[in-house]
Amino acid sequence: MSPSVFKLAAANLGKDLRLEWRSRDVLNSMLFFALLVVVIFSFAFEPTAEESRRLAGGLIWVAFLFSTTMALNQSWARELRNGVLDAYRVAPAPAEALFLGKCLANYILVLLLECLMAPLFVVFYNLRSVGPYWQLVVIFLLGTWALVINGTFFAAMSIRTRNRELMLPLLLLPISIPAVLAMVTATTAVLTGEFSPAGQIKFLAVFCVVYTTVSFLLFETVLNAE
Amino acid sequence: MKSPIFYLLLLITFALLAWGTYQALVVAPPEATMGDAQRIFYYHVPAATAASILFGINFLASIWYLWKRNPQADALAVAGAEVGVVFFGVVLVSGPIWARYAWGTFWVWDARLTTSLILWLLYMSYLVLRRSSEAGSTSVMAAALAVFAALDMPIVYMSNRWFRTNHPQPMIGTLNLNPDMQKVLLWNMLAFVMFGLLIAWFRYDIERTGQVINALHIQKAARGSLAMMMPAPAMFLFVDDKLLHEKMVQHRYMVAGYIAVWTIYLGYLLFLFAKLRRLKKEYREIS
Repeated sequence: MSPSVFKLAAANLGKDLRLEWRSRDVLNSMLFFALLVVVIFSFAFEPTAEESRRLAGGLIWVAFLFSTTMALNQSWARELRNGVLDAYRVAPAPAEALFLGKCLANYILVLLLECLMAPLFVVFYNLRSVGPYWQLVVIFLLGTWALVINGTFFAAMSIRTRNRELMLPLLLLPISIPAVLAMVTATTAVLTGEFSPAGQIKFLAVFCVVYTTVSFLLFETVLNAE
Repeated sequence: MKSPIFYLLLLITFALLAWGTYQALVVAPPEATMGDAQRIFYYHVPAATAASILFGINFLASIWYLWKRNPQADALAVAGAEVGVVFFGVVLVSGPIWARYAWGTFWVWDARLTTSLILWLLYMSYLVLRRSSEAGSTSVMAAALAVFAALDMPIVYMSNRWFRTNHPQPMIGTLNLNPDMQKVLLWNMLAFVMFGLLIAWFRYDIERTGQVINALHIQKAARGSLAMMMPAPAMFLFVDDKLLHEKMVQHRYMVAGYIAVWTIYLGYLLFLFAKLRRLKKEYREIS
């Protein structure tokens, strides 16, 4: 009897998290990078409380988008170095399990980064949410998933092109523009309290559902592309 | 290499293009407020239609490729995406020239414009992926990306609802469009759609030749689509000269539009011919 997809995905997730826990190279570089972005933006824009509330939505997501890209590249590069991808191609386990495990691992890492960075944003930009702040939690959960699901898929693709790490943003950014737009608008809506983010949240949910489905349908094809 | 049908269609297409241009420049009545500058409309809209059809072809061919894995589908997908990018480049260059006159600014971040730009960026990333992925896996990965890109379109369009739009609404078949203008537009649409499909056919043949030669180092077209940025700086030659008669100004915009657009089309065609020559040479060397 073969183990279920979820068991295999959990094994993959456990492996990735353990690797990360022992080396901590992805999380450390992501954190430091995001911190640098926060500092550089604050020099570039000189945010005062009133202005920053309008800008912060964009700044937060740009910082997270770039550091997510870093993490995603690393997560597959590790597998390539050790020949795990080839091993996976010959293994009888379904490719979807690998993909699900990877997505969850990346999701957890990026969420962790966001939890650690959020207080810094609050301090440096003197933020205070005017709208109901629990909506921010929903926006971040959905927005991060939207970035990670496409990002993990395209990272698996770009890692096998000639220019590797360079390729990921070129593929990921155009596809993600609508999602980023929704995240930024929704975050700004909550921070300024000027309008309701309900439409954007629904939109993000649709985006997540559509791309989660397509990614799972096509991942095996891309993994085995030769 | 090509069937006689291709040459027949080529003849018809050139006749149609000439007829369409004559109609657009001479027969169509000048627009009440925009005068000659409005004539950009007669190739702006048809180019957009042709590009949409070509991107549709790219999507269907990519699905066909993922399903059946035959090289014809792959070549068709390349042709659709690449020629589509060129035609969409025409849309993105001619639009701002008109907008500079009608709105007083080259670009606004409005729903229609943003959607178009993202569409263009998506298919550029498709071409970049094709160019830089390793030989064996290119087709599959590109086909997967094409599916993602095609799915993004309705989503981008939805996400743009919260932009206000300045862009004129589609007018064909409505009472807003002068019937004379509509007739001219439809002629031009037919001409440019045929033009687009014909170039795509040409490009498809080149891709097939490339596949047959199995030349791993064929230069892919990212360079060709970048070449179309060349006429873009021409737009900055436009200064609002108060001394000029308004009609002259409108005329200048129209001429600029034509120059920019045909530079793109002809530049791309030259690029394709150069590519064909290179392939033929390579073929001779091999056989």
